[in-house]
Amino acid sequence: MSHQPVAIVGIGQTHHKRKRADVSMAGLVREAAQRALEDANMDWGDIDTVVLGKAPDFFEGVMKPEMYLADALGAVNKPMFRVHTAGSVGGSTGIVGSHLVSSGRHKRVLSVAFEKQSEGNAQFALGGGKGASIGAGGAFAPFIRSYIQRSGAPEDIGWMVAVKDRLNGAKNPYAHLKLADITIDKVKESPMMWDPLRFLESCPSSDGACAVIFTDEDGGKAASKPPAWVLATAMKSEPGWYSGRDPVNPQAAHACAQEIYKAVGITNPREQIDCAELYVPFSWYEPMWLEAHEIAAPGEGWKMTQSGATALDGDFPVNMSGGVLSSNPIGASGLLRFAEAALQVRGLAEDHQVGGANLAIAQAYGANAQFFAMWAVGSSLNPLG
Amino acid sequence: MADTVQEFVFNLTFPFTRTLGSTLSTFSSALAQGQIIGVRTGGRVIAPPLEYDPDTAADSGTDWVRVGPKGTVSTWTWVPEPTNLHPLDHAFGFAFITLDGADTPMLHLVDTGSESAMAAGMRVEAKLKAPADRVGRIDDIIAFVPAADPSPSEGAGEPFVAPEENDITEMDAYCDLQYVDNASPTTIMWAKALMEGRIIGQKCPQCDRTIVGPRGMCSVCAIELDESHIVEVPGRGVVSNFTIVTPTPYPGQTETEPFARCSILLDGADAVIAQQEILDVPVSEIRVGIHVEVVWAPENERSAADIDNRSRGSGGDIIVGWRTTGEPDEPAARYLDRMM
Repeated sequence: MSHQPVAIVGIGQTHHKRKRADVSMAGLVREAAQRALEDANMDWGDIDTVVLGKAPDFFEGVMKPEMYLADALGAVNKPMFRVHTAGSVGGSTGIVGSHLVSSGRHKRVLSVAFEKQSEGNAQFALGGGKGASIGAGGAFAPFIRSYIQRSGAPEDIGWMVAVKDRLNGAKNPYAHLKLADITIDKVKESPMMWDPLRFLESCPSSDGACAVIFTDEDGGKAASKPPAWVLATAMKSEPGWYSGRDPVNPQAAHACAQEIYKAVGITNPREQIDCAELYVPFSWYEPMWLEAHEIAAPGEGWKMTQSGATALDGDFPVNMSGGVLSSNPIGASGLLRFAEAALQVRGLAEDHQVGGANLAIAQAYGANAQFFAMWAVGSSLNPLG
Repeated sequence: MADTVQEFVFNLTFPFTRTLGSTLSTFSSALAQGQIIGVRTGGRVIAPPLEYDPDTAADSGTDWVRVGPKGTVSTWTWVPEPTNLHPLDHAFGFAFITLDGADTPMLHLVDTGSESAMAAGMRVEAKLKAPADRVGRIDDIIAFVPAADPSPSEGAGEPFVAPEENDITEMDAYCDLQYVDNASPTTIMWAKALMEGRIIGQKCPQCDRTIVGPRGMCSVCAIELDESHIVEVPGRGVVSNFTIVTPTPYPGQTETEPFARCSILLDGADAVIAQQEILDVPVSEIRVGIHVEVVWAPENERSAADIDNRSRGSGGDIIVGWRTTGEPDEPAARYLDRMM
């Protein structure tokens, strides 16, 4: 199958907050989309098709929001797509947008992902509307307990990730949490939420949106600001529950990583990739995903955290934006990862820029750690030379 | 008894909250004062106002215009038998009404008493709730009724000056949804067995895994399983992993104190049953490796009403929980990775 090269020429996001009381849902997605249009030096009329992603409709209680938001996003008389793959949906929304260009079908595509969590209650929605909801933290806590046991990681690794991502978030003007004074002690002393996860090791609940504009090779070359090039995309799923399944080391995560590395020609991810945005809603997911995506050897992921390799000034920075731990409008969280990777290779990440980033990856996962989405972006079509 | 477990009725109710944004706040705040407004954008007046031009997605701006309270019906449909979800309890029309001063129609009710009184082109006027009852919602307009005087509305089309700050910026959007799910064959088998004090699973003939509770399929081999694959498993097992949840408040939350939910690998089973409660171990002492056995509700108190298709091993009100057997713990490392 032949693919047309795809360039990212516009990126926009909202200021993420616990509650964006100043905007409607339409206003929220438009804020992100308008910033992306401005970044791309485009107007609504330049867009050929719109892709909208968000997590379950029950989070806000608006069924099929793509219908209500079609004209708000300028999709009148244009194709409009809705994507939903639970927490990974933001990543999938970006990937679907890029495919509409790589297939040659459309020239300029706008992908938008959002969540306005303050309009409802995620614990309620994830609990099927019943009491005693275990929520996402409760669902993932056993996986984390298993990871800690099998890797032999010391207990402070989770606290270190929580501090590092919040310090990065403090450099990101759009981040929900800006905890510049966070310390290991503060994390360690924060209330236990879902044993072994403490409050400060957990993601916030945010209102926010993210938008990305894709175009073809000509559009990328003509762009007024440096584009990011989509080098490879991958999405994999596996059943959420079956006897013997290992959600700490999901097959779908490995399959995504292998497909991306093969397509880009990456043989040594740790050396060749300049930085990564990984979906880390709970601190321990950093080392777990470093291993499951074959950046670290099995049992070695936590050592990258411990040594400072994943810090902004480390040799393999992870979650330069502050990650999901700093902003979590669930449906947008995946696209925010994907967009940050693109910002990095465009050199536009300002205070959270990794110097000389030419090749970056982004990843998102969802539901019972069963949907995976990943992409690699570069400052050129062939950043490995 | 269990034979009656054929369908489940779900009631989902939740008080969602909408933030309106500046345009709809202006509309709602004006409506609560008895004034309907539109916005002039793209050379026409849109009413009710949108924050964007629906044709071009450009920002609509804040050129507010007074519209109505009279208008003209452009098209309509008749609702002869309203349900409890309709806004009126008697027959009425839904209509597109272009308010005086506006160029686009709004959808609302027309209350004429009879279908024969409805006509495209008819002049109608808004019937508002009493000022004290208005909250800025679209049903502050109870309905449109035939206009006593068909002449143009006074002041329609004139500018509306919005206050610096709007009174109404949020709105409740109450969800009250009822739906029915039919019990699957495996759910019926599971519930019947529980009512009889038995725990069952299905054994896959291909991979030999025993899956508790039955799902009608083997997720690993992707083959269907049926009644012939049912096996009974003992009500004894080992805690393989757990989660301790600090409950956050939400409408419908039943918990206020930290609670534990455990995965249990039953003896002879290959898949855990998740989210089980241990009755005689304090939350702070829950650990991997504890031997437990099932605690059944007394036969005359068992009800399968709470066991639905998504229960997947949940004992509903039939299994009260689990209690320790007193046997020494198994090594945690042997069970910890059994999350599923």
